[in-house]
This record gives sequence, structure tokens and C-alpha cells, in this order.
Amino acid sequence: MIPNLRHPRTYVSLLVLSLLVLVPLAFNSPFVYHLFVLICVYGALATAWNLVGGYAGQMSLGHAVFYGVGSYTAVLMTINFGVSPWIGMFVGAAVSAVLAVAISYPTLRLRGPFFALVTIAMLEVVKLLVVHQGNWTGGSAGLSVPLNIGLPWMIFREKLPYLLIAFGFLLATLWVAWYVRQSRLGFYLVAVREREDAAQAVGVNTTRVKIIAAVISAILTSMVGSFHAMYLTFIEPSAAFSLELSIQVAMFALIGGLGSVAGPLAGTVLVLPVAELARGWLSSLGSGTHGFIYGVILVVVVLTMPRGIVGQFGNRVRGLVDRLPRLGTITEPKVTSQLHHVARPPQGEPILKAEHLKKNFGGLKATDDVSLTLHSGEILGVIGPNGAGKTTVFNQLSGFIRPDSGSVTIAGDGGGWLSPASPNAFARAGVGRTFQIAQPFSGLSVLENIMLGAFMHTKSRAEAEQIAREVADLTDLSALLGTEAKSMTVGGLKRLEVARALATRPKVLLLDEVMAGLNPSDVEKAIAMVRRIRDSGVSVLLIEHLMQATMALSDRILVIHTGQVLTSGSPQEVVTNTEVIQAYLGKGYESAKPGAGGSERQDRATKTDAIRVQDGKGYQSAQSA
Amino acid sequence: MDIFLQLIVNGLLLGGAYAIISIGLTLIFGVVRVVNFAHGELLMIGMYAVFLASQQLGWHPYVSAIPVALMLFVTGAVIQRFVIQPLLKADPHIQIFATVGVSTALLNLGLLIFGADVRQISPGFGAESFQLGELSIVSGQLVTFLMAIALVGGLHVFLQRTYVGRAFRAVSQHRYAASLMGVNVDRMYVYAFGLGAACVGLAAALLSTQYPVFPTVGSYFTLTAFVVVVLGGMGSLYGALIGALLIGLVDSLAGYYISPDLKEVVYFVIFILILVVRPTGLLGLGRGSE
Repeated sequence: MIPNLRHPRTYVSLLVLSLLVLVPLAFNSPFVYHLFVLICVYGALATAWNLVGGYAGQMSLGHAVFYGVGSYTAVLMTINFGVSPWIGMFVGAAVSAVLAVAISYPTLRLRGPFFALVTIAMLEVVKLLVVHQGNWTGGSAGLSVPLNIGLPWMIFREKLPYLLIAFGFLLATLWVAWYVRQSRLGFYLVAVREREDAAQAVGVNTTRVKIIAAVISAILTSMVGSFHAMYLTFIEPSAAFSLELSIQVAMFALIGGLGSVAGPLAGTVLVLPVAELARGWLSSLGSGTHGFIYGVILVVVVLTMPRGIVGQFGNRVRGLVDRLPRLGTITEPKVTSQLHHVARPPQGEPILKAEHLKKNFGGLKATDDVSLTLHSGEILGVIGPNGAGKTTVFNQLSGFIRPDSGSVTIAGDGGGWLSPASPNAFARAGVGRTFQIAQPFSGLSVLENIMLGAFMHTKSRAEAEQIAREVADLTDLSALLGTEAKSMTVGGLKRLEVARALATRPKVLLLDEVMAGLNPSDVEKAIAMVRRIRDSGVSVLLIEHLMQATMALSDRILVIHTGQVLTSGSPQEVVTNTEVIQAYLGKGYESAKPGAGGSERQDRATKTDAIRVQDGKGYQSAQSA
Repeated sequence: MDIFLQLIVNGLLLGGAYAIISIGLTLIFGVVRVVNFAHGELLMIGMYAVFLASQQLGWHPYVSAIPVALMLFVTGAVIQRFVIQPLLKADPHIQIFATVGVSTALLNLGLLIFGADVRQISPGFGAESFQLGELSIVSGQLVTFLMAIALVGGLHVFLQRTYVGRAFRAVSQHRYAASLMGVNVDRMYVYAFGLGAACVGLAAALLSTQYPVFPTVGSYFTLTAFVVVVLGGMGSLYGALIGALLIGLVDSLAGYYISPDLKEVVYFVIFILILVVRPTGLLGLGRGSE
């Protein structure tokens, strides 16, 4: 809960932060006080915005709506009921929290500019309503705060108390941002931002995570808004619910560095004084000076260092700070590994059942009455020509596609059968999956990617790390733990997919073409890995075009053709099945059975590494070539 | 009944104004796939140019239309070339910030140069109204309405018949596939942004007969333009026209029957509902919000 004060990063941060109070004390001029109050207020607003805009990647340009609600609630409570703003700000925060849920729930799906547009529209709607309800909001003329001087009313003659309170809000907001960033929630937010599907697959309830971030951010923004209203002693709709304010706050966060804890404050400290000083010095030029400077700085920063100040210089500064000594001896917290070992039913019991799955895409029957059962401790291979509907079945088994009819059930720990309703519920029921096209969280390291899976069973970061290291061992990734996922090779990425799924401690692992596109040595590694996984007690369902691998690995094989189960049985039975050969090669190649005579053609039919031939024609042309 | 009919006519004519502003926005989004938050500021620049031409040279706004459209073509091309193009592969939020930054800078530049005063041209033709039976019609509104329809028709022919128009459509469907067919994608983007901005220049000239110009005039119109474009389907020309007429009607009717200060609430709520429920626009003509 508390950052380690002995760590150089912590004590240096606190020393730097204390300058925000010490500098104005030294100058002791009203303007400097005012400037630093503004820095604290905007720094806190930008930090709060960053929880949504940076961590969750939802570009809100209407965040002033929470600021305005906070201002108005606190002021209205003071005027009408004589309630102290110290209490009023919590009421405002509650209203903002409800509003945040109401805004974010329907707009979760929207990304990028569309989310930004909706937030702007929401802001406009609330502003217009506040103006319209003039009889109790004061309308467009605004409201004056009653000037009851004293701490209970947050109104002071001197500037210093304002500065101290603003600094307090800033510290609290920074602490929340830091706490979220290093917690499981922080990891989940990054996962959702980077790849929503992959986040679902490791059990993240993406809806919930986004809403939590929106609510926390709204509460903080609203409380800062309440304070700022008391400081300004006057509020009006066009200033409280202003698009300009929303943009400024987002801009400070971007300039500082989206997604980092220190970034938004750094951006504020750097840009706000420049613009404010310009407002003072260049006021003779016209009233647009500081806005013009904001705009130009924003464009220049976006073009020259899109990752912001922290992205650009963060590592260097961290490196310098880390050279400082630690204060006293630090006892590393002991990790008590309580690895979550799932109770498994005895060998050979059914563990996942799909019954009569049907799925149509328009007129295409992608899945036409597919039933299958996976038993514990077995490897079930699913094969079929391209376009047979394997991946569609696979997506239904992991909840990513809802079947039109039919059911998928998973054996629960208590002996009953579960039928989860969403991809993340499937993950939590014990179904891990990989994606045919690897979906790494590319900004995170390999270790952090795997930890995201591990977080499904633990909230503790240390424990997640421990699990991740064990899984990395199983998947040959130990040497790559520090690498950023985006700089991995295809083979590494495929193993990372498996590792991330394994870290969720699944009962069933669904592997979608984890060997496609690998070089021979990576294929060998992958085959050995799948065996190790099975031996560790996880049942495996594998889609694979690589025939040799499938034949070698699978205990049982299921053949899917045109959305239907063609046949199933042991690898030997399937390979010699006439219908299967027809499905892959077309009519006229039934004689291509292994063991029926050793002609060249037969060898090819079974031993070709990847049978990617869609029909007889393709095979013929391959032969004649 | 007379009032109702007058409201309908007012709504449609207002829709013409919204359409002429929205066409450029939807064209830029449709081709370059960038939501241009600086759209309104382009309008502001155009309107100030028209104002200066009228004040200094005595040109009627309709005379300034072509030179102002050319000037904005260049402005748009410059924005695309030097701000958007380097960011084409960046995250969408970076592109948003870039256009928001351009918007903030231009808006405040307007404020710096011209001050916050509201300036109005008195052009003669375009501002007066005439009677058509019981109905009262402002000539400038009618001209704007007709020009909006002509512009959509003209752009349609341009997109269907010319090489650059076909290239626009190709680039909008698949950037890389188009480049494989020998289309110079970057240049097409510059043309498209310029053309979209030129449409705004035309809009500026047409609207100057009825609306005063001030630094934030753009913000006043852009939000509506976004509503129109989302309603009609982002990227669709016809959608923008239909959306504009609908919003014009909503504006006119809600302003009379509900309350003048709540009409915007009505169409912002429509906007939010469309984005949430049907992101491809009312008629499904758009590109969706993926």
C-alpha cells in the first residue's frame, strides 16, 4: 500500500514534489502562489485523467464534466444546505461516480476518436442542462461561493492554505495513480488497452476493468473540481464544463507521457508556467496568446516525441536515480508460493463437452452440429482442410463466439458442469486458449505478459511473478523474460501465447496452430512443450496443419469438414479413412493410404509437412509442377 | 399549420448550411481515416478571409468563394503534409491530439489577430428574404442549400469518373492494396485533405452572408458537423447530406416545440445514441467506428 520510502525512486520523488510547496514559500509572492496552486490542481486533474486516457487508452475529451459536477455539487451544497465543501466534495464524487458508470457503460465499445466525440457530446449535454436549469444552478450567469472564511469552508485570506490543500489533493491523486499502476488492476488496464481479446482470454472482465478505471478517475477529478471551485470562489457553466479545460488536462498528460505515473504532472509543470507567464507578459498582444502556445506545443510534442517527456527521458532519469543509495537495509518481502493447483478429475474423465454446436454466418453454415468431448489427460487433435470451420469451433469452445444453438460445458471443481457466458468466464472456468495470430501485449515484457495470465488466481504481484517464472521454464522462455514482446520472433511469440494461457492454470488448453510458420527446430521445441504440458496434467485440444506434429502428439484426432465432424479416432484410423483423404485431396486419391504400397504419392499424402492443399485440383497442379 | 410548414422549410434550409460544412469533414474522414478536430477552425479561417475580402476589397462573399476555397485547399494540404502524414501510422489518440492541437492553435491565433469581436458582413444579396406564398425564405439560405446539393452531386461525379476520384476510393478501402496498384497514397491524402478543406472554404463564403464571424465560430459549427456526419455515417457523402437535413429539421422543430436552449441537447442525445447503437450511421452508409 505504501511505496518503500527507503528506495531512491521514492525519496527522490518526494523531495522533488516538496519543491511544489518550498518554491512558492521562498518567493512568497501572490502570483507564484497562484501559479503553484494551478500546477497542483492541473497536475492532479491530468493524473486522474491519465487513469482513463493513459492506462485504459480511452481518449476522454469530456473529463471536465466530472470537474464541473464536483464544483457545482460542493458549491450548491454550501449555498443551499450550509454543508462544508469537505463533505460536499464526497457527495459530488458520488454523483460523478454514478455519472461515470452511466457514461462509460454504453460507450465501452467505442475507441479512439469516437469515444472522444461521445465524451465531448456528453459534456455539452450536461453543460446545456445546467444552463437550462437556471432556477437552481444559477444558469449561465454562474454562482458565487459564500465567503465564509475558515478551514471548514475551504476559504482563506492567505494563499498558503490553498496551496497546502491543493498539494494534498495532488499527493493523494498521485498515490492512487501509483497504486493502480503497480497493482493487478493496472496490469489489466494495460492489457485491455493493448488487446481486448487477449485480455479476455486470460480471464480479464474487460467491461468491469474499464468501468472501475472510469469511476476512480471521475471521483478524483470531481474532488479536485470541488476544491478548485472554492479557490476560484465563482463558478459558471462555460468554465466548469469547458471543452478547453478537458483538452488542456489531456494535453498535459500526453506531453508528460501517457500511462506513466509521473508523466501528467511532469507535463503540467513544464507547460503550464510557460503559458501562464506568456499570458502575463504577452497580454498586450491579445487574449489568445497562451492558448496559441498550448496548441503549438501540443503539435510539436506529438510530432517530435509522441511518448512524451517520460517516454523520452524517463529511462535515463530512472537510471540516474537508481544509482543513489538505498536507505538502510531492505528486506525483500518473502514470496510464499501458493501455487494454485487445480484439482483434476481422474484420467480419462470427460472435462469439456461440446454438444450439437451450430453457428451460421449469413448463409454459411460454419459449424453444423459439432459435438466433441475432451477427456482429462489427453491430447485431442482437430484437423480439417482450410475453411473447414476449425477455428469457429475453437472460438465457441473458448466463448469468443456464441453458438446459435448447442452448448459448451466444462467440468467444475465441485463435480458439476459449468456453462460460462463470456470469454473471460471461460478462462476463469479453466479454459486457456492461444490465438492463431499471436496477440501479445506488445508494450509489456515477456515476464509481464505471462504475469497477466497468472493474475487470474492471485492478486499478489510477487506471487504472479513466481508463477510466471515457473511457466516460462515450462515453455522455454526463461531466457527471454526481460524482452519486450514486440521484439520477439514468431516462434517465441507462439510460445508466449502458450505460456500466457498456461499461467492461468487451466484445466484445458486450446492451442490454435501454435506450430504454423515455425522453423523445424522451433517445431521440435513446441512438440516437446505440448507433451510436457499434457504430462503436467492439462488436457490439450490442438488445431494444427502440421500433420506430422498432430499425428505424433494426438491421442485422438477429430476431423472437421464443411462445418461437420467427418470422423474421429486414433491417428492411425483417421489417416487411413477414405473420407478424410477425399476431404483433403479430392476424389481419386483414395488409394493414397499409408501402408497400402509405398508409392511416392502416398508418401506425400501423409508425410508432407503441411497439407495446405484445399482440393484435388491444387494437389494435382502441385504434382504436375 | 403555417408555422409548421415554415419550420420545416427553415429546418431544411438550415440543413443545407450544416451539409455544406459537413461534406468536407466526411470526405476527409472517408479517405484519410482521420477525424479532423480542426475542421471548425478551417471554417473560421475561411470566414475571416471572406470578411477581409469584403471589408478591404469590397468583394461580395460569393465572389470570394473560389479564392477562399483555393486558399483553404492549400491550408488543408499543408496540415495533411506536415502534421497528419508523419502520424499516419501512429496510434489514433496521437492523431486526435495532433488535430486538437492544430485546432487550439488556430482558434487562438484567430483570437490574437482579430480579437474576440463579432464581425458581420452586410452583403446585400444573400441576407435579404423574400416571400414565397405564405413562406418567408432567406435568399442566402436557399443558395447555400442548392450549393450543398450541387456539391454532393459534383463530388459524386468526381469520385466516380476521374482518376483521382477513383484513387480516393481505392485508398479509402485499402491503403496498401491501393499503393500496390500504383496509387501515390501520400499524395492522394494531401489532395483529399485539401479538397475537404476547400469545401469548407466554399461553406465559409456561403455562410458569411448570414452568420457573423468570431474566433470560436468554428466550435459552434463543428460539433454539429460531427453530429451530422455520425448520423449519416462517417465517410458517406449522401449520409452527410441526409444527416444534415435531419439535424436541420430537429434543430428547427425542437427549438420551437421544446425549448430553444435545449435543441442542442436533443441532437447530441441522438448523436450519442447513434454512436452507441448504430455506429455505421442511420442508413448504415458509414464506415463504423472500429
